[in-house]
Amino acid sequence: MNKVIKYSLLLLAITTSLVSCTKWIDLKPNDGIIREEFWQTKEQVQAAVNGIYSSMLGSTSGDLALPEYFFIWGEGRTDMVTPGFKASPQEYEFVNVNIQPNNNYTNWRALYQTINYCNTLIELAPAVLKNDNTFTKAQLDQAVAEATTIRSLMYFYLVRTFRDVPMKLTATISDENIQPIPKTSGDSILTQMVSDLKASEAGLPYTYGNANTDKGRVTRFTLNALLADIYLWQEKYAESATECDKIIASNRYGLVGGNNNLFNALYYQGNSSESIFELQYDANKLNPFYYMHLASTRRWGASARLMDEVFGVDLVNAIPKVDARGDGCSLRPSDLTIWKYVGANSYGNSMRAPDQSFAHWIFYRYADVLLMKAEAINQTGKSLEASRLVKTIRDRANAVDFNGTMDSTSKSGMEDYILQERQREFAFEGKRWYDVLRNAKRNNYAKVSYILNMASISVPSDRQQVAFNKLRDKNSHYLPIYLYELQTNNLLVQNPFYK
Amino acid sequence: MFKYIKYIVCFTLLGFSVPSIQAQDAGAPKIIIRGKITDKKTKAAVQGASVTEVDADGRIIKGTASDIEGNYVLRVTSLKNNLNVSYIGFKSLSQKIDGKTTINILLEEAATDAGDVVVTSSRNTDNGMMGVKERNSTISASRINAKDIEEMQAASIDQALQGRLSGVDITANSGDPGAAMNIRIRGISSISSTGTPLIVVDGMPYETQIPSDFNFGTADEQGYAQLLNVSPADIKDITVLKDAAATAVWGSRAANGVLLITTKRGSVGKPSINYTFKTSASYLPDPIPLLNGNQYSTLMPEAYMNRTGTPLNTQQVREFNYDPNDPYWFNNYSNNTNWIKEISRTGNLQDHTVSMTGGGEKARYFASVGYFDQTGTTVGTDLKRMNTRINLDYVISDRIKIFTSIAYTNTNQNRNYLSTSDGAIRGVAYIKMPNMSVFEYDEQGNVSPNYFSPAANIQGTYSRIYNPVAMANQAKYNVLGERVVPRFQMNYDIVKNVLKATFDVQFDINNTKNKSFLPQIATGRPSTETVVNRAYDGDIDLFNVATKASLAYTPVIKNEKHKFFSSLIFMTNDLKAVNQELMTSNTASSLLVDPSIASRTQNQELQAVSSVSQTRSLGALAVAQYEYNDKYIFNAGLRGDGNSRFGPNYKYGLFPSVSFRWRLSGENFMQKYKNIDDLSFRASYGESGEAPRYDYTFYNNYATFPWSYLGQSGVFPSSMELKNLRWQTIHGTNIGANLSMFKGRFRMDVEMYRNRTTDLYFNGLQIASFTGYSSVNMNVGTMDNQGWEVAVWTTPIKTKNWTVQFDFNVSKNENVIREISPFYPNSKGDVTQLGQYLRLLQIDNPFGSFYGYKYKGVYPDKASTIATGANGKPIVGPNGQTVQMRYNYPNVDYQFQPGDAQYEDINHDGNINYMDVVYLGNSNPKLSGGFGPSVTFKNKLKISTFFNFRLGYDIVNGTEMNTTAMYNFDNQSTATLSRWRKEGDITNMPRAVIGGGYNWLGSDRYVEDASFVRFRSITARYTFDNAFLKRMKMKTLSAYISAENIFTLTNYKGQDPEVSATGSDPFRMAYDYSMTPPSKNFILGVVVGF
Repeated sequence: MNKVIKYSLLLLAITTSLVSCTKWIDLKPNDGIIREEFWQTKEQVQAAVNGIYSSMLGSTSGDLALPEYFFIWGEGRTDMVTPGFKASPQEYEFVNVNIQPNNNYTNWRALYQTINYCNTLIELAPAVLKNDNTFTKAQLDQAVAEATTIRSLMYFYLVRTFRDVPMKLTATISDENIQPIPKTSGDSILTQMVSDLKASEAGLPYTYGNANTDKGRVTRFTLNALLADIYLWQEKYAESATECDKIIASNRYGLVGGNNNLFNALYYQGNSSESIFELQYDANKLNPFYYMHLASTRRWGASARLMDEVFGVDLVNAIPKVDARGDGCSLRPSDLTIWKYVGANSYGNSMRAPDQSFAHWIFYRYADVLLMKAEAINQTGKSLEASRLVKTIRDRANAVDFNGTMDSTSKSGMEDYILQERQREFAFEGKRWYDVLRNAKRNNYAKVSYILNMASISVPSDRQQVAFNKLRDKNSHYLPIYLYELQTNNLLVQNPFYK
Repeated sequence: MFKYIKYIVCFTLLGFSVPSIQAQDAGAPKIIIRGKITDKKTKAAVQGASVTEVDADGRIIKGTASDIEGNYVLRVTSLKNNLNVSYIGFKSLSQKIDGKTTINILLEEAATDAGDVVVTSSRNTDNGMMGVKERNSTISASRINAKDIEEMQAASIDQALQGRLSGVDITANSGDPGAAMNIRIRGISSISSTGTPLIVVDGMPYETQIPSDFNFGTADEQGYAQLLNVSPADIKDITVLKDAAATAVWGSRAANGVLLITTKRGSVGKPSINYTFKTSASYLPDPIPLLNGNQYSTLMPEAYMNRTGTPLNTQQVREFNYDPNDPYWFNNYSNNTNWIKEISRTGNLQDHTVSMTGGGEKARYFASVGYFDQTGTTVGTDLKRMNTRINLDYVISDRIKIFTSIAYTNTNQNRNYLSTSDGAIRGVAYIKMPNMSVFEYDEQGNVSPNYFSPAANIQGTYSRIYNPVAMANQAKYNVLGERVVPRFQMNYDIVKNVLKATFDVQFDINNTKNKSFLPQIATGRPSTETVVNRAYDGDIDLFNVATKASLAYTPVIKNEKHKFFSSLIFMTNDLKAVNQELMTSNTASSLLVDPSIASRTQNQELQAVSSVSQTRSLGALAVAQYEYNDKYIFNAGLRGDGNSRFGPNYKYGLFPSVSFRWRLSGENFMQKYKNIDDLSFRASYGESGEAPRYDYTFYNNYATFPWSYLGQSGVFPSSMELKNLRWQTIHGTNIGANLSMFKGRFRMDVEMYRNRTTDLYFNGLQIASFTGYSSVNMNVGTMDNQGWEVAVWTTPIKTKNWTVQFDFNVSKNENVIREISPFYPNSKGDVTQLGQYLRLLQIDNPFGSFYGYKYKGVYPDKASTIATGANGKPIVGPNGQTVQMRYNYPNVDYQFQPGDAQYEDINHDGNINYMDVVYLGNSNPKLSGGFGPSVTFKNKLKISTFFNFRLGYDIVNGTEMNTTAMYNFDNQSTATLSRWRKEGDITNMPRAVIGGGYNWLGSDRYVEDASFVRFRSITARYTFDNAFLKRMKMKTLSAYISAENIFTLTNYKGQDPEVSATGSDPFRMAYDYSMTPPSKNFILGVVVGF
């Protein structure tokens, strides 16, 4: 009997300990946050939105900051820049139109990282409504709309750069979400983005009530500008003009006055009244441009012909007109420094200190809206009206008439002129390649000459013939898929030109 | 905290529920017993003898001691109990009280101090969970007695075990004091884990890992000398468990094998005091001869000229100016400095241990205290260790025994600021320009007491190059460790000899402080940089609680042919790590060495880090062994494991094991072979699961950006949730045989094994970026780790005076990938880059093969660089012109010049590229092992030797590559004196070209067969005989001298052929970068017992 008691007690002891011990091995990190504990309050949603913006300033995984990719993708193949002596062989390949799949600058990871943060917010923020009563539907819609807009912006960059890319609209939360996915055609991605943006429009505020926040975060006008840009790419001109008109009609934006103010307000100070959306670098997060453009460590400099052939020299007037966007604004001609990001004044004699290198990266500003509208309505046959818009921009900049006058009667003449004006207005703002490509591919590559003409300037003469042959194949206008991606995703197919 | 209490409660409940139900006898009559205790022989009164009343279970109820006249008085509780009398030096006596009230006792003097706690008549193998006689063991294990290795100069047991056990590969990371060793049991069964075995001390796991995220400042794994700091003098024996059936019982942490360490325990007898002393001196042999300053200064301008076609402008590069009119540069750069000599010295070591053992019937003790002090052969390295251990056994009654121990270790290690992995001082000393001075000369040519550390010179800047003497002397890296391991164990016989319960609890407090300082003079850099006056302080505190509760059941079976025993074991482990680290730089002075002093913290690498992590695991094991007629032995176990590092889907795993032994010699038909004591065959299969290395990976973690946006901080998901991470499981199969003949004079063990690892972990597998992540930890495939081992122990001569023994072991091990994720990279090494070899991942092929070019010597002249086709005729271009041999056309298109290295153009296309790459060798040894004859004369003088060997493997002589490349401004070996200099020179050494040419591509020029036999050690030990000892009033006295690494037989031309492939991935291959052969050690030791 004694034995029976003994054994049953022992058994009881073992069972009790086993039961309590299963809980015992459930451990959570003591420091740091986990998903189960996040997504509880509106403040956390706000922190996640901030995280999306922060991710555009720089990468936490060792990749380059987004603006560095945008700069090289948008300018590296154009007639605006020349490689500096510290340019890497892979940067030279951009200039030479000899981009191979192992080129580091074809790495798109930084964009998808931001996309994943957007996806995560879009997927998980709605649950916060249940947990936090003070979190309103309007606040949720706004957060989701901000994420959607940035996600669309990222895909727009990807489509313009690679054309067909994998489209992932769900969050990567666990290792069950990493199955390979194939490419989606660029056209379908843009269609998806347009419908996403339209659905988000109502959620976004016109203003956050703070000047800096209005420029640094996505407003409804940011969305309109992005939509206008996408429509333009899709050759939907009426829709594009409508979006531009929404911004123009709001009367919240205007062009910054000419002369010194232009550089100072737009680029040195940042967040000007003209700006619609720009990335807010500051003293605690510097942009990647300082050493890239500094003469002694330069990787990219301005092309030597810009002053003569792009901004122009006034040989007519007694007191020569000087384009305010040239010397001391876009560049310093004396040493071909790209001045927009490293200059400190418009006289070209004072540079930013290394720890002051926080010029913003401008995605959209009012001048862009006006010129997008001009381009759109010119295509719908309103060349005269378009020419007025262009003139506004030119007058503001005190532009020099040196290269023939604007012909407001010819659609193709205006098309050409608007492209040139965009070159002057958005020099080094990461738009040139996309502008040229957009105009070249219009009406089924009716004007592939735009790209070839540019290559005849930018590509070194010994490589020109090869480059021309390549650029005549329209597939070469899009970058190859990075080798790493092909190796890690067996459903990806290399872009046709690079097979 | 609540959980923790709960767990303590649940353990205590489990632990003490059983004894507590033992009802106490109460209310017994109190009776007084008197008597006198006298010595039986001398009739003298015995004072201080202990007299105790003991119940039927042997439990002491009451006790007293006899007075000066031998009288005692004891109030007993029951007259049915026994009276026990014991005194040290006398035989203990037990007598029934039987109602008597006066009991006089005569004590008899004990003949010897015999009664060792461990009965050694038949050796037990222990898997740590269940003691089984070695001859009935079904598992594969090898054992070594501490006595065999005590002569070696070793700070810790891992060093001493090197090469001693078959299938156990122990290699040193570096020869510096306190450097950790790599222990591998039967190779590596993983492609990403550290592969270190589980260490078990006296039946409880001993933590040897630190959290992988510790030590951000100088991340390296070798600074943890104190991880394995059980003092060798305290160790009785070490058993290595090799097959999976044996390790399976230890669960997830034992997947890489188990090392069981038993420490010495007290024994009944008079107290005996032992003192062991050991001292040694280590000498570094001469390294490969390097250029002196003058030879170096001739080579470099020549190499520069060959590259650029223009002479080196020594007006600008004043390092090579040698102009006495420029006194500062002349004096500082015209020397013949031997940098190696400047940072080397003779190492020495002293090791003292005092230990006491003794005990009586009830209590036994072993206590030791040790002091160890080692000075390394590199300036600036030393290790001091103090340790103490107390093992206490107490017999409460025949049924309850407790065993406690406490061990404390204090280590204080100084090492070089930079560890081997990041370009150790010795590595820099080899390549440092020899024409530079150690100390700076001033403009007048007077040598100053300041180290010559220019911010930069032609050779580069810190961290590539620096003044190694300044670095060794001025930069500090101190590791202070303290470890306390208290331990408590209780054994309780629930049913005597049938059911026994054991409860263990062990606490392990292991605190380490790392402190380092990098002064300006060591780097020479300007004070604006963060590598100047950089101070680091990091603490890591580990607290581990391990418990084990077991129930052993051994039924008494009437039929003696059947034997059965079984155990049920439940274990828990809870490891908590807290660390804090701080790094700052640019303190105001080199004397301000603490990061708390106002200094710079802005940069990314200067940071404060603190973290807490915790890992818990639990395991339950049921194991049983059945023996029939001593011939058929069957053992089976089932282990369940739970680990906090897994998500809910895979938290628990079940791992079975079975093993079998058939004693052929026990069969009737074998009885005629009288010489065979034992011949058995064993087979085993076992599974054991391994948990991942990192905590909390099954959570979707969020982190904060290190910068803000519009002044607001942002949060992002920093890692995905790993839902699918599963147990990496090793399925081990082992077939073995044991043979023992001629009464144990010839013994042999043969083993064949295959450990198949499924669900291999791979940390950081690259995944497609569209996921937003770059890598993930995953289970990626299946790998086999297979091989065989033979160990032989013989005693060919055994006469009255002479005993000759010869032991021998040999083994082979290889790894093969059977299955792997398509995302796992399939090759490594870019053959178009200098110095690289190609390795391929080939399913079903053993690891270790590498590929490269064939070296054919040097192009002596212009004519020889003309490309020729397969027919031996020159290849002609479209215009009929001859073409030169090219390298990697069209990507590189380098035309070979006279004096360049010539590679074989395998496909005769006039172009050396990836198509000319061929198989060059395999760095997996075909055989490795050791042997050691020993001779004993009259049990007094014993000479033992030990050799180890490795046969049939190829290594890349990285030293030769680096010291003959002539590719940069690094110093080179004197072999380069025979280099090609002018058209027509016939030599095997290509011309010098700074930063150009393709003279040191990965080719067979550097590949050599590194088979070797090394005379590892010889020891002569003299044990003094009893007559002498009596005169000296000693119990034991022996002394020994020993020498290590005396010579190596090999055809290998490098310094040290004993190189293992580094890393655990399928691309591992062996590179020899050692410039100096292993140090020669001479050891003197004394063991005295009183």
